[in-house]
Amino acid sequence: MSSQVAALIATHLSDRRRSLLAWGLPIGLMSAFIVAIFPSVEDSISKAIEGYPEGLKEAFGIGQLSNVEQYLQAEMLSLIVPLAAGYLAVRAVASGLSGAAESGRLDVLLSAPVSRPRLCAAGFLATAVELAAVLALGWLLTMLGSALASAGLGASPAAAGFANVWPLAMLFAGLGIVACGFSLRTSVVTGAVAGVLVAMYVIDLVGKLDSGLSGIRYASVFRYYGNAIEDGIDPLAFAGVTAAAIGLAALGAWLFERRDISA
Amino acid sequence: MSVPSPTMSAMPVIETEGLTKLYGRHRGIEGVTIAVEAGEVFGFLGPNGAGKTTTIRTLLDLIHPSAGRALLFGLDSQRESVAIRSRLGNLPGDFGYGREATGREALRLLARLRGIDGLGRAEALAQRFRADLDRPLGQLSRGNRQKVGLILATFHEPELLILDEPTGGLDPLMQEEFLALVAEERERGCAVFISSHDLDEVQRVCDRVGIVRNGRLIAVERMADLLGKARRKVTIRLGDSEPPLELGELAGVSEIERDGDLVSFKVAGELDPVVKALAAHRVLDLEAVHPTLEEVFLGYYREEEDE
Repeated sequence: MSSQVAALIATHLSDRRRSLLAWGLPIGLMSAFIVAIFPSVEDSISKAIEGYPEGLKEAFGIGQLSNVEQYLQAEMLSLIVPLAAGYLAVRAVASGLSGAAESGRLDVLLSAPVSRPRLCAAGFLATAVELAAVLALGWLLTMLGSALASAGLGASPAAAGFANVWPLAMLFAGLGIVACGFSLRTSVVTGAVAGVLVAMYVIDLVGKLDSGLSGIRYASVFRYYGNAIEDGIDPLAFAGVTAAAIGLAALGAWLFERRDISA
Repeated sequence: MSVPSPTMSAMPVIETEGLTKLYGRHRGIEGVTIAVEAGEVFGFLGPNGAGKTTTIRTLLDLIHPSAGRALLFGLDSQRESVAIRSRLGNLPGDFGYGREATGREALRLLARLRGIDGLGRAEALAQRFRADLDRPLGQLSRGNRQKVGLILATFHEPELLILDEPTGGLDPLMQEEFLALVAEERERGCAVFISSHDLDEVQRVCDRVGIVRNGRLIAVERMADLLGKARRKVTIRLGDSEPPLELGELAGVSEIERDGDLVSFKVAGELDPVVKALAAHRVLDLEAVHPTLEEVFLGYYREEEDE
């Protein structure tokens, strides 16, 4: 890694140091709460779930809910954490490009001998680190909640569940760079990519609910997300989605290189 | 960083040929052709929206030209922009860097991006401009932020300085300090490209000026030639009652007005024919005033509007 990229990453992480607490703490505390209450709600939840339609259970990844891993997956890792992490990823990557353009910092940085693709690469890598740190804090607090309530959450399955969110969220960081190739207004970039994030979730949900429409799930990255807390990380899906995220980031850097940066 | 001596470096530091930027149907700049030499301070004048910032951003490869080209240090502004930017310093118009970072943090990052150990002459410049490098930029006034911007642009002793409205917000004392710094940079062999509204400042520091209007460069002149070519205002006090009718017949004399014993008029070119014509009169007093750059500038604009 070049010293320029390292310097940009260090600055990005320093600028966004509060995001670790602002995002990691709520995700972790909520997950910890979910895990901690599981022993007391286990019986009633299992009975309630038995009455749910099969399609609904499959759509939301709700199995038997007979253990804390399944409960954490259903309550946090199937919806809230991926959506929050995806939104965080696009916010983080946009802060280094469209956010920098709005504050005037981009003009200063691009007065130095740093290429635009390097700026994009630094933003993408810094987002990867920030996201990993937020997810790690989420996992750590969740494990703490489990230990305090003696919920018996396995550290490795939980780690797999949180780690599996990372490539999915990074895909939206890649899309964020693509969006910065078209607009340098942060509200437009985050709004557009957040829209794609929600649309992909809905597409996957519809595909799960209606077997006749299952083909549309291939248009959504959630198709490849799976249930890592129970099934473990699918290496092919993990690598494939990560590669797609890198590909989108490269496309975004190519677009960003060719666009005008107006005052 | 050592800068090649102006006499040793024949290649212009900035050279543009027909530089054009169109925004859809709107014209940003059109056919801008200029050359700026090493050790030269070049002023770029024009009102808001004339195309000054568009020209600067095209030189910096922040925006890409629709036609024409720009060479800096003989390198193509688009294909070799990274190599170019390693040799220049830039102060953007309305300098900003975010609210939370301090000037020192910004300097450290830029030093690392430029591959410089330490902060160069940043501390000395901060003392000279009384700039606070340790307060978040969002807590500084516009003038104090501008000082930090100037330090960021100059701390690495670049070969070319591009300054877009550099003295905006600076108090008169700091403006003087800025002009002194520009003069020192010129002595060092650095080329300086200044876009400014402050015509007095441009008049004091620039060797040449380019005047831009509606995206087109309408004049490039040496400052002395520009002021010398402009019409001087001459006022005489006559000691006799004879009207100096000869003046009206002289080439280059215009706008003759008489108010009692005072006669004022404007003269383009040499004063010699005027002095000889006045020899037939008793002249009690004579004052010839060179126009300011502002008057010259406004004159250019009036001429363009008349055409």
